[in-house]
Amino acid sequence: MSDTEMQPRAEPLAGSLATVGLSKSFGGVRAVDDATVTFLPGKINAVIGPNGSGKTTYFNCVTGMIKPDSGSVSYRGNDITGRPPHRIAQAGIGRSFQLCRIFPRMTVLENMLVSVRSGTVLGKLVSARQRTDIDRARELLTRVGIDHLEHAEARDLSYGQQKLLELAGVLMADPETIMLDEPAGGVNPALIDRIGGLVRTLNSEGKTFLIVEHNMDMIMSLSDHIVVFDRGSPIAAGAPEVVQDDPRVLEAYLGV
Amino acid sequence: MRNDSSRTVVASSAAGWPRARVAKLTGLLALVVFVVAFPRMAADPFILSVGVIIMSYAVLATSWNFVGGFTGYISLGHASYSGLGGYATVLLILHTGVNPWLAMFLGGVIVALLAIPIGIASLRVRGASFVIVSIALVLILLLVFQSWGSFTGGSNGLRVPRPFGDEVLRPEQHERFFYLHAVLLAIAVLCWWLIDRSRFGTGLKAIREDEDKAQSLGVPTFAYKLVVFVISAFFTALGGGMYALWFGFLDPIFQFSILTGSYMVLMSLLGGIRNVFGPILGAVIVGYAMEFFKAQYGDTQIHLVALGVLLGIVVLFMPDGILPALRGLVIRFRPQATSIREVTQEELTRDATGSREESATDRGTGTKEEVSG
Repeated sequence: MSDTEMQPRAEPLAGSLATVGLSKSFGGVRAVDDATVTFLPGKINAVIGPNGSGKTTYFNCVTGMIKPDSGSVSYRGNDITGRPPHRIAQAGIGRSFQLCRIFPRMTVLENMLVSVRSGTVLGKLVSARQRTDIDRARELLTRVGIDHLEHAEARDLSYGQQKLLELAGVLMADPETIMLDEPAGGVNPALIDRIGGLVRTLNSEGKTFLIVEHNMDMIMSLSDHIVVFDRGSPIAAGAPEVVQDDPRVLEAYLGV
Repeated sequence: MRNDSSRTVVASSAAGWPRARVAKLTGLLALVVFVVAFPRMAADPFILSVGVIIMSYAVLATSWNFVGGFTGYISLGHASYSGLGGYATVLLILHTGVNPWLAMFLGGVIVALLAIPIGIASLRVRGASFVIVSIALVLILLLVFQSWGSFTGGSNGLRVPRPFGDEVLRPEQHERFFYLHAVLLAIAVLCWWLIDRSRFGTGLKAIREDEDKAQSLGVPTFAYKLVVFVISAFFTALGGGMYALWFGFLDPIFQFSILTGSYMVLMSLLGGIRNVFGPILGAVIVGYAMEFFKAQYGDTQIHLVALGVLLGIVVLFMPDGILPALRGLVIRFRPQATSIREVTQEELTRDATGSREESATDRGTGTKEEVSG
């Protein structure tokens, strides 16, 4: 793993995900405003900020769900600004959604088989139930602890199990970078610990994480690098201890 | 761990799978035997002609279901493609004198090519907007084909040359077209089934469930939708062309009719869009009901009222269609082999490898625990 500096830098690091001057407005609201951020490759990065500070819109701009008005997104030295979401996914950036999104009327196993990393046209026509894919899906389901539910329809799972399924589904394509939008939202404390543990293990295997989260305990204990957003712009970045004591961050959160 | 996961699979599937497969194959065989024997069993040419109409609807509904069933995009305007297929076939025969069956195939190819720009334009919008765009296309085509009399025959219609000679009598014509439609239906069903089980099909079904989510997992959603849309238009056009050759006459008002498209939707929804045989079952029920009402009540519009009522019943009581509803009944009356077992907090937090053995044992007894995930 690279021993990158913990200091925020304006110019992108080699091999990292970074944005320069990213902006997106909805009507008169500047949801994301001139966001220049570099995330540390191989680390657990967190994006925090008060409600409405543009975190999710920022996420959506990076993953191509929303086209930014200006600015650029680069990943591993390539400009990926404005590319359609499936191209960004195929480039190795997986993501989860704020309110967990799974395919409700498909079984757990079918949910796992949706993800596409690459492949030929001919490869699309073969049966979806390839031995290797199914083995991999089962391995990941076992890993998140819902392998016994593989034949259940996804809509019959509890919310926590759906969150685990979504994470496992994202892992199917073996993305190098994983973006999680509020992984701890709406789940019980025991499961939060479990998800945190999974993130830590996956990170030790080399996955880069970008996590949007409101649960401060989770963020402070989990992340290596935190970027704080307020009113669409990053106002501070650094290690948890540093960010925690930053007066600008306290002001944004507490309004002092 | 490996051993354990395979045990789970066996536990939940061994009870049902082979029997379900035997039942499916038996059903399929019975269906094939019935189709082959139908012309012999038909009491008179009228019944046989009803059989041809139902077969034609089955082809059209199955073709519609390539888009509707896989992607969930409800096109009310598929009459565009059946109508274009019919006109393309007949105009090719009249103007170039090619073999009628070659003309039908070429008609399908032409319509498939036309469906590419139409798909690119219309598949950008979802939900109600897509429905409206699909209807708009039928209305445009209706006006064009009515007005462009010199080429299409206009409102006077177009007489279709018979593919079989005059020595082939009406009942014999019906029988041949019944089998021809059956072959076309079999090809469409096979194609649908192949897509259903493929990676492509999994991507399409993911689009039906949640298009944005599918795209975030790397599925090139637009390309997938477009490909299946073109396949759907191709089969619909073949169905339209074959029907034109049988019926012998084309009139824009019937070819480009909102009703024809609505029938395809109703039949598919009635039978169940998630099942390859759903649209066929729907076609049999709706086709039979329609001919029954027409025969009983003649020129009145009562058959349309009956269809409206039928659609209401389906939407209210069987939103997934008849086949899934039947399947639900079968499952309800079968001894419960497995049920979804909720996982307790303790199990979730426990170390993954440590908890395996325990959870495997109580999985067998099927105990339902407190919901807490």
